[in-house]
Amino acid sequence: MERKELLKNEQIERMLSPHPLSFMKLQVLCIFVIVWGIVVWWLTNFSTYAEMFTSNPWYPLILWGLVLLLIGVVASLVAIQWSIFFLYLGVFAGAVGLIVWQQWEADSTLFLLVYSIAVSIGGFLIVELYRRSHKYILTNLRVIFKGGLLTKRERTIRYDKIADIDAKQGILGQIFSFGTIIPVSQSGFGLGSDKTMAGGGLAVGTKKAKLFGFAGGGKEVQTPIARSYYELHGVYPYKDIKQLIEDLVQSHVPTQYQKEQVEFQKQAVDIQTQMRDLLHKQVSGKSRKRAVKQAVEEEEPEEEQIEVEETVVTKKTVAKEEAFEPEQVDVQQQMKDLLKKQKSVRVVEPEDEEEIEEEERENA
Amino acid sequence: MATIPLNIDAFIGAALGPIAGVVTFWLLQLLLIEGQKRMLALLRHQHDAFCRFTNFVGILFQTVCHALGYTVTRSGIAAFQVTVNYGKVEPKKEKTGVFEWIAHSFLLFGPFFIPAGLVLLASYFVIGSGFSIPTVMDFTFVESLTVFGESLVRFGFAFLSFLATIDLFNPVHVGFLFVLLFFGLGIRPSYIGEERKEKIDMIHDLTRIKNHLIQKPVYILALIVIVYVFYLLSLFLNPQVYVGVFIVFGWMSLIAILALLLTYLVILLIRATDKIRPWWKTIPYMSLIVSYILARIFFLYYPRDDVETFSLLIMVVTTVVITILLIKYKRTNRFKTTTKMKHVRVADGKKRTVKKRTD
Repeated sequence: MERKELLKNEQIERMLSPHPLSFMKLQVLCIFVIVWGIVVWWLTNFSTYAEMFTSNPWYPLILWGLVLLLIGVVASLVAIQWSIFFLYLGVFAGAVGLIVWQQWEADSTLFLLVYSIAVSIGGFLIVELYRRSHKYILTNLRVIFKGGLLTKRERTIRYDKIADIDAKQGILGQIFSFGTIIPVSQSGFGLGSDKTMAGGGLAVGTKKAKLFGFAGGGKEVQTPIARSYYELHGVYPYKDIKQLIEDLVQSHVPTQYQKEQVEFQKQAVDIQTQMRDLLHKQVSGKSRKRAVKQAVEEEEPEEEQIEVEETVVTKKTVAKEEAFEPEQVDVQQQMKDLLKKQKSVRVVEPEDEEEIEEEERENA
Repeated sequence: MATIPLNIDAFIGAALGPIAGVVTFWLLQLLLIEGQKRMLALLRHQHDAFCRFTNFVGILFQTVCHALGYTVTRSGIAAFQVTVNYGKVEPKKEKTGVFEWIAHSFLLFGPFFIPAGLVLLASYFVIGSGFSIPTVMDFTFVESLTVFGESLVRFGFAFLSFLATIDLFNPVHVGFLFVLLFFGLGIRPSYIGEERKEKIDMIHDLTRIKNHLIQKPVYILALIVIVYVFYLLSLFLNPQVYVGVFIVFGWMSLIAILALLLTYLVILLIRATDKIRPWWKTIPYMSLIVSYILARIFFLYYPRDDVETFSLLIMVVTTVVITILLIKYKRTNRFKTTTKMKHVRVADGKKRTVKKRTD
């Protein structure tokens, strides 16, 4: 990450990327293709059932394709992601197209083995590139998510905007110490829904008129869900990262005690501002008086020299008279009031640390 | 139907023979499990993920057995959870007495035999031979023990023959081998519960089993009576049945022992490669695959009998030789610490200093 991308006073705490095994769901799709290709090759060449496939060169392709598509449908239903089926459909169509185009029907079993391995290796490479495109940056102010192979996506969330943290660790994650952390924002970004539907049809009667019934049901559950480039997907070491994020979020959440502190400080600043204004007022009043008095003294120097003691007395008297001028008395009275108020505004400290902790827990 | 002699040996001794055989094999199994635990403990600091995986498999087997116990006793399962550190099974109905005792028996003994039973079932389809029970004639303690042993020898021989001729180009054989290794790594009872215990050894297991047994002595008596009634019934109806039941337990134990021995080889290979420098340590694993493929290709052009066995032999010998050579010439730094010294210095805040030679 470039320095210019950071905000003022922002420091990078950690830079993360997903664990190599965190995209196992995608890698499994490739593993299945390669394993199934080997099994079909063995089944059609070396097993006791090999003779069944010698009669028609298209049989191995049909078997390979049917099972591939069947698994694609099952995987799509389980993962609620039809792209898996279409991916396998594309792989199957590619195999058929190549065989027809190059007329490899006679060597279809060997072709299927090589094709399965090639497609799987290609799949692994794409998954690895996709994984490497992800970058998660934890700074002292926010979390930055970056990812995407062709379209670069980026998400930023400040710690004080994180309302909830969802963390999950699968079996593979527990074994290899990685896991996924989804920061749910206050606006609900990071929340999704799983929806399952069931449908069925029934045809009654064998003649022209048929009854057809359809039943459907749906269930929607709110769940923390996000794309891998909008969550901390498969980060390692999971526990440390989770702890770090929770600490950073906690440090950005104002507690009740901190709120009170801020309130008191605001009041204190207000009082000080008022006092400063009053002092300014008082000082400016005094200086004006002094200026007037100096002018008078310059005009009558001899008189001052003669009656030094009297002048001193006069000055004192004048000072007293100045202090008790109505305007000054008002200012002093206001200052007294403000000082009293400042004393009354004392910082309320909690009795012990346990109370602070309790408050923090409640806020969390 | 065979004539049953009226003596003590026929009515008591012959009943105890198969039981003694099963207990002996089970104790042997326990000893091998203990050895595996100690071997895993030695490589824990370097292969934490591998150890966590074996721990997970063990907990999975144990939790499934516990759940099976609740299912058999019709208690129902309210919660089922398996993690790397612990497993949890909660029944819907908390049954006490004999049901609770049976459920706990599944928890304690199940991991030793239930997964092994599944592997035995798979081996019946993959191996298909050696599953024979010899006929009992004299009804003595020695004879029933001999019959038990003979059956196990036949089965063991068939199983080892299969392993020696395993075709690694056959996906079914490869799958069975993986299942066997998976089972071998997981056959070690671990602690089940929220609390995590660091050390669970054989003594701990045996103490738990003993406590469970002496907790309800009446049930033990009832169990003995049931087993003996079963023996008497089979004695008069079909003597093969009683011996056969214990022989099946013996097969399971034998499978577990062979699986454990296979995992010993894997753990040994991992420990050996730890002594080799990074990147070079991958060569022994690669040689396992490459040498086998090359051997099979070689025998394709120079065909002979026992191609699979010779290929396996070449694979094992090549890997062992390569590993020894790598340990000798590409040995890793033996003074390597678990925490890098550089990190320790950074943590201490002390800078690294290099003393230049002045001479």
